[in-house]
Amino acid sequence: MFRAILFTQWKWARLPLLLGIVAAFGLPLVVVQPLPSLFAEDAGASLAIEFMASFGPMFPLLATLLGLILAVSAWAADHAGHHVYALSLPLPRWQLVLYRLGSGLTLLALPLLALWFGALLATSIIDLPAGVRAYPSLLGLRFALATLVAFALFFSISAGTTRTAGVVLGTIVGMLLAQWALALVDSDVNLLGTLFDVLFVWPGPLDIFSGRWMLIDV
Amino acid sequence: MFDQIDPRSAVPLYAQIAGRLKVAIASGELRAGAGLPSVRQLAGQLRINPATVVQAYRDLETEGFVEMRQGAGTFVREVAPDRRTRERDREGRRLIRTMLAEARRLGIGAEELRTLLLEELAGGAA
Amino acid sequence: MSFAIETRDLGYRAGKTFELRDLNLRVPRGAIYGYLGPNGSGKTTTIRLLLGLLRPGAGAITVLGHAIPAEVPRALARTGYVPERPHLYPSLTVEESLRYHAAFFPGWDQRWADELLSRFGLARTVLLSRLSKGETGKLLLLQALAQSPELLVLDEPTDGLDPVVRREVLTALLDYVAQRDATVFISSHLVHELERICDWVGVMDRGRLVAEMPMQSFKNGIKRLRVRGAPALLGDTPFVVLARHFVEGQAETWIVRGWQAPMTQYFEGIGARVQEVIDLDLEEGFVELLSTARTAPRGEG
Repeated sequence: MFRAILFTQWKWARLPLLLGIVAAFGLPLVVVQPLPSLFAEDAGASLAIEFMASFGPMFPLLATLLGLILAVSAWAADHAGHHVYALSLPLPRWQLVLYRLGSGLTLLALPLLALWFGALLATSIIDLPAGVRAYPSLLGLRFALATLVAFALFFSISAGTTRTAGVVLGTIVGMLLAQWALALVDSDVNLLGTLFDVLFVWPGPLDIFSGRWMLIDV
Repeated sequence: MFDQIDPRSAVPLYAQIAGRLKVAIASGELRAGAGLPSVRQLAGQLRINPATVVQAYRDLETEGFVEMRQGAGTFVREVAPDRRTRERDREGRRLIRTMLAEARRLGIGAEELRTLLLEELAGGAA
Repeated sequence: MSFAIETRDLGYRAGKTFELRDLNLRVPRGAIYGYLGPNGSGKTTTIRLLLGLLRPGAGAITVLGHAIPAEVPRALARTGYVPERPHLYPSLTVEESLRYHAAFFPGWDQRWADELLSRFGLARTVLLSRLSKGETGKLLLLQALAQSPELLVLDEPTDGLDPVVRREVLTALLDYVAQRDATVFISSHLVHELERICDWVGVMDRGRLVAEMPMQSFKNGIKRLRVRGAPALLGDTPFVVLARHFVEGQAETWIVRGWQAPMTQYFEGIGARVQEVIDLDLEEGFVELLSTARTAPRGEG
């Protein structure tokens, strides 16, 4: 059963997944390209770190995209058929959800490994000056965690009915509207800022996405 | 052989099938020892419930026209000549009754009918 | 007597306009049960309730001895289902779809699936989204049959198919039934089609079961009579008069239920005469039954 389900999800996600694998492998390699010439300059190390920091957001962005694509493609076909097929198969709903989740995680392992290998390769081909260190495994782990969080989040939204997805979207739109209304009456309340802090600042669940994503750091 | 089977008739399908086979046996169209189509074949061919075919065959077996051999199929039995004649007569009577009922509906009288029938018979012989 | 499907006082409400009420279905094991009714009478809703796709508002359901919805997966493992609209994944090929489906059913019969593939002329490498309507219908039935089910639940399986395909589909279905003693629950508004194959009928109208009986009693029991000289007011009749139509200067037409031949004597007793007793086929009986079910006073609200 798991193999059959894994196969369908592979078929539905394979194109973007292959692109994602290439991107995950290539991103660390691309990022380190200018480093040798930067290190050659006087203040090379700090310039390099600044440069690294400017590329940082690419990683959580890729993680989010991968999580989103795998999660949505796992359920899109069932949504299109109003879940009639899935519900007429002789297994409990929760079991099917677990299989789909497991298949998604299995497929996600490919780009995660690709990024880790890419990072290891990228850091092995450049010479680092004193005081600067490479963190390929740490970045790989962090990328993996971020991807899994994104996947879990989008998976739980898309596993539900269209109504669930609607509620989530509606809440976001509602908050934007509320913020806009508050701004009109010159209120100091910052709904979105507060929400952002709650979600993205430790111990918020999405803390993993914020902060510095550094392959090379002090 | 089953062209005249009419699922819309009030005569049950199994009775129609059994009746049709009886006629075939009585007329010699089906000889002793001949195999009938399997339940699966006939049900598929006529697109009817297999249970209906089974019921028709069972009825024929009780009346002694066929025998169902386990695993081998259903076969026509030797039927005594006088019995065959009786079956033929019964079928003939059935046809005549249908015709008479139709004639009554149309208001065709007995005399008129007799004349027409004789004419037809003469024409058929010519 | 055990039933393949049994419902007790089943109720379900969808919106303000549609309601299924006090549904008591009994489908005998081994029967080919025709579930008749006009569009919107609740046939598809009933089927979805039977398979656990909807949750009943009231009452109890048993399918192959399993309580629904508590034991839905166990019932589904033994049931082949062909829904009203195709539900398979259109992005898979025929071969892939079969492999996916097979993984869920322990009784999957690959040889039978292969045989039906060639009999139906379905190519294995074609995407489901590229199949014609007839091919899709054939594939749906193929998948349901190859899982070797004890019960087949078919919701308008031939609706919109051309006569040739319809014939192929029905033949394959009957072929299966002849080999295994499966029960078939088949909904359709194509009455003629059901007349050939069903031995039981259930008739739905506006969310209610208005009749459920063996096909033969359904067809035998309902007659059209041509009657002359009957009084306008009748006392007790040995049969149920569903309808009386008068035409000036001609015999009256009566539609009666529960008719038996000796009942002509009743007419002598009231000084009338039956000119003719006409058999109705399933479709005529069905139409008469519905029209009387609708004019009859309904229960509370």
